[in-house]
Amino acid sequence: MKTKKFKILAIVDAVLIVALVVLMFALKGQYNDQAQSSVKEQVGAYKATVNAALQDQWKSMDQYGMAWKLVYATITGAKTEAAFNAAVQNIFEDKEARFKQVSYMYTAASIPAQVQNDIAAVGLAEQFLLKDEGGVKEVACGKNCVAKFTFVKGKLKSSDYKALVEYKFADNFGIEAPAAFKFE
Amino acid sequence: MNIKNISIVLTVLLVFIAAMVLMQKGNYVDQATEHYNKTTEASFKGGKKILEYVNNSVDVNKLVWAMACEAIQTVKTSQDMAKLESKYFPTTKGSNSIANKTRRFEATSAYFIVSSFDKVDVDKKTDLKTLSGLNSIDVNALMGEATVAQEEPEGEEEEEFEE
Repeated sequence: MKTKKFKILAIVDAVLIVALVVLMFALKGQYNDQAQSSVKEQVGAYKATVNAALQDQWKSMDQYGMAWKLVYATITGAKTEAAFNAAVQNIFEDKEARFKQVSYMYTAASIPAQVQNDIAAVGLAEQFLLKDEGGVKEVACGKNCVAKFTFVKGKLKSSDYKALVEYKFADNFGIEAPAAFKFE
Repeated sequence: MNIKNISIVLTVLLVFIAAMVLMQKGNYVDQATEHYNKTTEASFKGGKKILEYVNNSVDVNKLVWAMACEAIQTVKTSQDMAKLESKYFPTTKGSNSIANKTRRFEATSAYFIVSSFDKVDVDKKTDLKTLSGLNSIDVNALMGEATVAQEEPEGEEEEEFEE
């Protein structure tokens, strides 16, 4: 009677072992695919966040560079609305000079050319002149930075580029540490 | 007796395999987590470093621009320029080139400005030479159009101003 019970136990064990081995191999493939796709997806998402921050900074540096050129041109050139408009247009449209200026700043910051090229793939800033209403002109001088110029009857009345002078780069450009990995 | 031993061995084996099945997921999670942490950490550190380098470097650029803008509106002599330099950069001083009637201020090797003056003034008592009549300021280095800096010939530099 005892022998019969052990026989049944052995058979059940053998069946379960086979079933578990099959299950183990099936899960192995599933977990492997799951792990790979989860890692790929989450690493990709994080890298995209980092790239977005770097590209954001690149475009802001372009606006920052253009803004200083405009301020300097306004101080040293004719104090008229026409001269200002021409300076805005010339600065914004000279993409070669803009790229050169931003790239120079990155080189000065010891960023290698290859890294610069990767970031620069995003292109230059799309916007410079933000507002042009009734003699009041606002230009972007970086992320969250606006310089204001006021003209009355075609003559420059005031230049307010305090935001540019006091611009704090570290407050505007940063990257969050990666979130914990989720096995989904 | 024989079947008893076999069934015991098979039971032990069953428990072992069941444990392996249960631990299998944990192993994949660990491996995936390790790879994720390693990759994202490298990306985080690399990106942060770029942002910081640029942020820090451009802070200097900003000060030189601000100084150039103030200088072109207020400076008349090389002494005025020296005062302005010490206001923006207390530890860095510019230098005059009496021969070229210029004053060069270099915040870093990348960011510098060169002020051009109209004439050289000589103090009759001390024979000290200074520059006056600010004409223009070369901001090419700030616009990314710098040329290689020329070394000034020796003996031509004269620091005329001490606070």
